[in-house]
Formats: sequence, structure tokens, C-alpha cells
Amino acid sequence: MFDNLLSLMPEIGLAIVQTGVMLFISMCCAVLFGIPLGVFLYFTGRGQIFERPVLFRITNYVVNTVRSLPFVILLVALIPLTRVMVGTTIGPVAAAVPLSIASTAYFARLVEQSLREVPKGVIEAALGMGATPLQITWKVLLAEARSGIVLGITLTTISLLSYSAMAGIVGGGGIGDLAIRFGYYRFQTDVMILTVILLIIFVQIIQFSGNFLARLLDKR
Amino acid sequence: MIVLEQVSKSYRSKDGLISAVAPTSLEVAEGEIFGIIGQSGAGKSTILRMMNLLEAPTTGSVIVNGRDLTKCSPQELRVARRSIGMIFQHFYLLQNRTAADNIAFPLEISGVPKKNREQRVKQCLEIVGLEDKASAYPAQLSGGQKQRVAIARALATEPKVLLCDEPTSALDPQTTGVILEFIRDINKRFGVTIVLVSHDMEVVKHICGRIAVMEHGSIVETLDLSGTGQKPTTEIAKLLLGDRREALKGGVAYV
Repeated sequence: MFDNLLSLMPEIGLAIVQTGVMLFISMCCAVLFGIPLGVFLYFTGRGQIFERPVLFRITNYVVNTVRSLPFVILLVALIPLTRVMVGTTIGPVAAAVPLSIASTAYFARLVEQSLREVPKGVIEAALGMGATPLQITWKVLLAEARSGIVLGITLTTISLLSYSAMAGIVGGGGIGDLAIRFGYYRFQTDVMILTVILLIIFVQIIQFSGNFLARLLDKR
Repeated sequence: MIVLEQVSKSYRSKDGLISAVAPTSLEVAEGEIFGIIGQSGAGKSTILRMMNLLEAPTTGSVIVNGRDLTKCSPQELRVARRSIGMIFQHFYLLQNRTAADNIAFPLEISGVPKKNREQRVKQCLEIVGLEDKASAYPAQLSGGQKQRVAIARALATEPKVLLCDEPTSALDPQTTGVILEFIRDINKRFGVTIVLVSHDMEVVKHICGRIAVMEHGSIVETLDLSGTGQKPTTEIAKLLLGDRREALKGGVAYV
């Protein structure tokens, strides 16, 4: 029953690397852009210290739109942008472009939510001490919400892992793509089982380390 | 020390303009412990929060330490706020920082070098008697200890004024006494002017020299608790001056 696996070993190795590349690039983008975007959504929201209804509504709308598109559609719709940005539309790096955009929007929302958990009084206390907006962002908001943000990173990574299965559409490769091409289209059940097991292991590891780190950071 | 000149606060709502504080003037002298008392919704916290402009008055001016805060630029206001400490009913400590790092926070944000910071944090921990809790996180402290850390934090930048917003309302009676003693001690030892808001008459009676009674968004009476020969007009003031019988005639037994 496991005769397909041996001959596919190199493919499986490559798939793991491809998944890793896609996740790494898009998580870097998510953290780099998602945190500022989340902070922006938080600060400009209703009743917050930099309340800006129009700016908030526009940003909110854009984030919702990105989040409401099915990922396959986003993947295809962004092909022209991908070509401009990385010069090609196939391969894991190309697939990382739509993945980054989807994960940034998703993660920004999670950041905004964790920031809302910080009691407003704590922010007021810091304001009363003469803290600048930047100091409040770093030393109060992000520092107090850090364990929630780590859990947000965990959740985003796991969603990305499942999104990345669709990367095969643009030749992105990866474990999920392997499952679809060999396990599903060619009825190679052993490949299917192995890829699913791999994905389960990855999700367990990500969730476990995320929970562990979040608990370590949480002194509340 | 603190002068409020015809300050008022109104909010826009669905039913039009709602007035939280009617035009009110108030003066707090240097070195005194001034109390503001009244029922919830009377506007006492709003008045207190105007004193460091956490609440910007709709009209009027707020002069602290000779400086009109309503005319300050954001940068000037931040500097002015460093000499106005504040403590709250719910403490509002940073949960992810130790007691010592909480006290260091105001020093950190005003750019005090690390070495001086450590020194000052130590002094402040001593003032509130929590030297042994320096590395404890707020979650590991009792309510009274949290408030003491909050007091130490408010004192870190050596403020001239300490604003206390219902500082003992989340504490049991015994801890309340301890916290009030610390506040009084700080007033005596360092000459810090204190403004304290409370709905609890015992608290105000215990510690304040002068008080203002607030009702429906305005100060209806100001009186000196130590002085004699005053004619209180409000129920609260009558009770505070010990004229219990007369107050009870009005049908209000407590606030």
C-alpha cells in the first residue's frame, strides 16, 4: 500500500520546503504590516483617543473586503500584481504574494481585537503621565496585549497552512498541493494519508508552541 | 495651585447637548488635601479629570502650577502632566510589568536615565513600604498593595499635585485606612497638594481639610472641615459636620 511513498520522497521533501517558504514570507509580511494596520484600526475606531470615523471606515471596509474574498479568487485576482512584484506568477514565492495580503488583513483584525482587551483606564493612566502616542503604542498597548498577539500569530499561521494548499493553482507547490495532485487526482491514498499526517503534526507543533509562548508572556 | 475658572463640560448626544458639568470655578491651595464629594453622576470625576486635562473642558480654563493647561500644545501638556500624579479606583497598573517596572514607567517615558530610574524606584517602593514586592507582578498583589504601587508610580516623577479618583472604593475598610494614611503621609512629608474624589463621607471626613459638595454637575457648597461656625446647607455637608439630626430631618440618611 505504501509503494507510492518511496518514489515520492524527494517530492515530499521539496513540498515541505515550499510550504515553509510560503509560510515564512507571508507571516513576516503579516507581522510587519498587520501590526501597524491593527494599531491603526484600534486608534481610529469609535471612542478611541485618535478617533477618525472616515479613515476608520475606509480601512475597515478594505480589510473586510480582502477577508471576504475566497482565497482561490484572491489568488487569481492578484496574478497581475504578483507579476509586477516578483517577476513571475508561479512558484512558492509568487504564491506568497496573495498569501501575504490575505494574512495581513486577517492578522490585523486579530491585533485590533487583542488591543481592545487592554483596559482603557491603563491607556488613560499613561496619557495622564505624559506618554506620547508612540510610547503608548509600544509600552502600553502592544506590551499589554502581547500574549493575545502571539496567539493571533499562531492562528494566522495555521490558517495560512490551509490556504497554502490552494497555492497549487499558481504552481506554488507545498504539502497541501501534493495532497491534491497525488492523493486526490491520482487516488494515491498513501500519499494523501502521509500529507494529512504531516499537516496535523505541523498544526499541533504551531499551536503548542504558540500556546506555550503566550502563557510565558502573560503575567495578567 | 489648581485653579478652575468657569469650566464646563457638555456632550453631544442623540437628544442634543447634555451638560455634565455646569460652569464651575474652584481653587485648591498649595499643600492642602481637598475633597470632592457627591453622588455618582454628580460630575466629581469629570472635574478631577479636568485638572490634568484627561477630560478637556468644553469652556473655561484649567490653571495648574501657574500654567493654563487648556492653552498648552500637546508637547507642553505632556511635560505639565509629569508634575501631576494620578491614582484610580481600579489602579490601572501595567499587568505585564513588575511593581518596580510599573513605578519606572513614568520615568522611562520622560527619558530619565536607567541608573537614576533604579534609584528613584527604590525610594518610591520604600515610601509605600513595598520593598519586598519589587519583582512581583500586579496579579500577585492584593488590592491594597496594587494601590500602593499605583501611589509609588504616581510619585516617581516627584509631582506637585496628586489627583485621587475614588482611590479606596475598590478596597475593604481596613485597607482603605492604610491607603488614606499613605496619602496623608505623602501630603505631609513632601508637601504634595492632593485632590481626592470620593462618594464615601467617611473617607473625605478622615483626610480632607476642605471639601466641595457636588450635585447635578455643579459645586453647591465648599466648606472647611476643621473650621467652626459654618452653616452647611446641603444634606451631605450637614452630615459631614456631624449635624446628624438636622440632616435626617431632610430625609437623607446617607450618600
